[in-house]
Amino acid sequence: MARGSSPLETMPVSRFARQTRWSLIALTGAMLAFLYLPIAFLILFSFEDAATPGLPITGLTLHWYQVLASDSAIQGALLTSIEVAVVVTIIASIVGTMVAFPLVRGGIRGAGILRLLFTLPIMIPGFLIGIGLLIFFRQGLHPLVNVQLGLYTVVAGHLVFTIPFVVLIVASRLQGFDRRLEWAAADLGAGPWRTLRHIVLPLIAPAILAGALLCVTLSIDEFVITFFLIGPQQTLPLYIYTQIKFGVTPEVNAIATVILLVSLSTVALGSLLLTSGRRLRRRPR
Amino acid sequence: MADLNSRLARREFLKLAGAVGATAGMSAFLAACSTTGATAAPPTAAPSLAAGATPGASAAPTPGPKGTFNWLTWGDHWYQAEMDQIAATYGIKANITSFSDDIDAYTKVQQVGGQVDLVSEDALWVPYFYQHQLIDAFDINSLKVASQLYSVAREFSIWTSPAGYLGYPNGWAPIQITYDPAHVTAGADSWQLLLDPKYKKRVVVEDQPVEVMAYMGKAAGVKDPYNMTDAEVAQAKALLVQLKPNILRLAPQATDTVAALKNGEAWIATINLGADTAVMDQGGPQLTTFTPKEGSIGWMDAEMLVHGGANNNLLMPFLEVHEQAEYVAANFMINRRPLFSEAAYKLLINQGQQELADHLLFNKPETVNSMTLKGPGTSTQAAIAAFNDVFGS
Amino acid sequence: MTVESPVGAPAAPTAGSSSGLLQRFGRALPALPGLAVLVFLFLVPMAIMFVFSFWKTNNDFVAVPDWNLGNYARFFVEGTYLRTFIKTLIMAALVTVTTLAIGLPFAYFLVRYTGKLTQRVILLAVIVPFWTSYLVRVYAWQAILGEHGALNQILQAVGLIKVPLDIFNYDDPGVFVVLTYIYFPFALLALYAALEKFDFTQLNAAQDLGARPDQAFRHILLPQIRAGIITACIFVFIPILGEFLTPTLVGGAQSSLIANLVLNFLRNDQFAEGAALAIIIAAFVTVIMIVFRKSFRVEDVVTSG
Repeated sequence: MARGSSPLETMPVSRFARQTRWSLIALTGAMLAFLYLPIAFLILFSFEDAATPGLPITGLTLHWYQVLASDSAIQGALLTSIEVAVVVTIIASIVGTMVAFPLVRGGIRGAGILRLLFTLPIMIPGFLIGIGLLIFFRQGLHPLVNVQLGLYTVVAGHLVFTIPFVVLIVASRLQGFDRRLEWAAADLGAGPWRTLRHIVLPLIAPAILAGALLCVTLSIDEFVITFFLIGPQQTLPLYIYTQIKFGVTPEVNAIATVILLVSLSTVALGSLLLTSGRRLRRRPR
Repeated sequence: MADLNSRLARREFLKLAGAVGATAGMSAFLAACSTTGATAAPPTAAPSLAAGATPGASAAPTPGPKGTFNWLTWGDHWYQAEMDQIAATYGIKANITSFSDDIDAYTKVQQVGGQVDLVSEDALWVPYFYQHQLIDAFDINSLKVASQLYSVAREFSIWTSPAGYLGYPNGWAPIQITYDPAHVTAGADSWQLLLDPKYKKRVVVEDQPVEVMAYMGKAAGVKDPYNMTDAEVAQAKALLVQLKPNILRLAPQATDTVAALKNGEAWIATINLGADTAVMDQGGPQLTTFTPKEGSIGWMDAEMLVHGGANNNLLMPFLEVHEQAEYVAANFMINRRPLFSEAAYKLLINQGQQELADHLLFNKPETVNSMTLKGPGTSTQAAIAAFNDVFGS
Repeated sequence: MTVESPVGAPAAPTAGSSSGLLQRFGRALPALPGLAVLVFLFLVPMAIMFVFSFWKTNNDFVAVPDWNLGNYARFFVEGTYLRTFIKTLIMAALVTVTTLAIGLPFAYFLVRYTGKLTQRVILLAVIVPFWTSYLVRVYAWQAILGEHGALNQILQAVGLIKVPLDIFNYDDPGVFVVLTYIYFPFALLALYAALEKFDFTQLNAAQDLGARPDQAFRHILLPQIRAGIITACIFVFIPILGEFLTPTLVGGAQSSLIANLVLNFLRNDQFAEGAALAIIIAAFVTVIMIVFRKSFRVEDVVTSG
């Protein structure tokens, strides 16, 4: 694929090239505006003077951010969300990667069916998973083990739909993996463990990390499954929902804005470090 | 190739580390700010207690059990300033979880049992909990603060059992109909107002199939809308069909109803007593409220002691403080619905709030005897099936 | 090479290293934790729901083994469930078509007309809203679409309309708009992943051989990104079958989708009745997944983002 050079240079120019280009730009721009419209309102309302977010705006204030800063309940919910997400991500990344290896390389005859089975939890409606697990924990396991609803059950629920993502992503990466690298390592005397640690894992690390990032994202915003499986605790989406019941104030907008800013700055930070890394490497030795 | 991959790996890792670090940093920052921040309760509503004049307390640092207990309740049973004060003075902290509907609490307590110590619940659900051995009865007169209650509240037959009283009464409200007189002809007094074709897409009701069917049951003249016969369900359903085109939305939560009334999108709504004042507080229109003449559903709730609660030694001391008139009166000012404490009513008069209290029927707790009380019933399934039939495609 | 492969290691590269049962078990061992989760936390609960669907819920909110097919019959006999299901299918199809119709030119533009950096930036711009709470975003749409919402206020201020628009006011079009908003990023990522892999010099070759641009597009490009298009469709269509929050928050009295009806039962502890309806949806989803299993590439969607 032509990198850097405009495709308009490499293809015979069609009569409608200019119009096509501009209409595509217009479409992209319009769609991006559409995508950010509610975000803009979300941020706007977080600075609003009135007690309920909505138009018309009567005045601007930082009051809700102050309320947010001292609201230990919402901070507690946020921390709980992060704790759950971190645990889910670590477990899902490890377990999912471990499944991917035999799935791709194990020579199992039912590999296709297994793959399909792992895809189902992603696609089945979340409320069915939530309620199914609720009944399972409460009534299915009850004779044997008294399962208390709480963060453990929430983690279990999140694992059901995050592990498949990791499995599929890592499996895909493994399928395209050049095994000659491993054979070369073996020829040079490395045992299977060393090959795994020093050759295979580092090379599939981007896939594992992509899966991990996805797990964090999905887990933090997961509402439906959490709703059914949590005990007397709160995660952030749950808190937002129950708060909205008793008095939606722009404080909820404030925390959403904060999360947005944090994510944006993280990405910006990451990209900056990436480009500076690139620049460093280009420096002549 | 290796270079590209290692660069990708580093970028992904940085993203992840950065995300975790930034959120952790932000949380730390917010936590640090919390020590200097203000509380969430509106300043006018907090009880103005002089330094040291904590209700019911002796001058010396309070003896008695300290610790944290788990409370499953609605958000209008407490307010932050009160909780902070009780924690500071008595060392009793409440770990509060909210729930949205009676049946949610029932399911939850059934599942987690003694993980919850105190649970709030409505009317006929209270004896239901007791039947299923989820709560303990107690001698309500053993609590000194119980003498502050209206006497009728200590003698509800549905909350009495041979072993004692089943819950400490909190508050009550009938479901009422509220409307904006600027758009709606005045003088309405019946459920039929909701069905008037003049008000297409101007009515808001809750997204609760069993409750909405109960309203329609009442409108159809059914005596017990939670235990309807098939014929009665059919009657209610016929009215629901008439209601459907008038509905703007099925509100998931009470604040959605308030918001719709406030910004004028809805003109008529079913509300808990007192929600109309919330609309006006937020700058919305002046509303008229009435209890439908065919009779209404209502709720009255109580705090119940969960059987086998791990921290239940804290509950009686907590109730002794939490149910004091000062806190109850302050709660009324925040949440605007009547509570069962007679002493709180007297306090409100002293605070100059008699008009509001009377408007919200604070001094008429016997009203509950004329309400059809919320509770589990036998027509739940039929009601849901009928609701689905009407609101499906 | 060594015969006993340590757990987790790839098989040693000697041909004919044989399938002793123990060795095969050892190779499969790493998959056990994941399989345990799949079986105990997914398949078993689904099986329980399946069993419940043949039972009945009594007045004490307990499912009792009163074996019957009534709960399934309800779906087919009481017209509302079939009609609502079909409505849900139509809504899902409309959203899918719309996200594809916008997503394909969008992705094409990114891949063909912009450099790598711009692509990354724009893709991030599309995904970042994803990182704010779903609930808050949908509530923000409420403020835009209502009778006194931003949309009506702007249109009236500009003079385009005299009376507030009613079609978005807690109604199906509003649900459509919000669903398109929520699911567009999925479609875009899937299409972008497919287009990125496509070798555009093939189009040059086609044109050299005399094809018109649109012919090249239709006969060369589209077939090769077929997997991506199918992935995009599945990633948008199927989750909408389970959507209930958006209809509740921005929909009106007639906007209930099938999941809303099912949850009316489940939220009132009528588990047996709700389970049957939920299983029907799940079965439908499973059939689609089986039919399109070869084309569905979740992994591409994720790694390109």
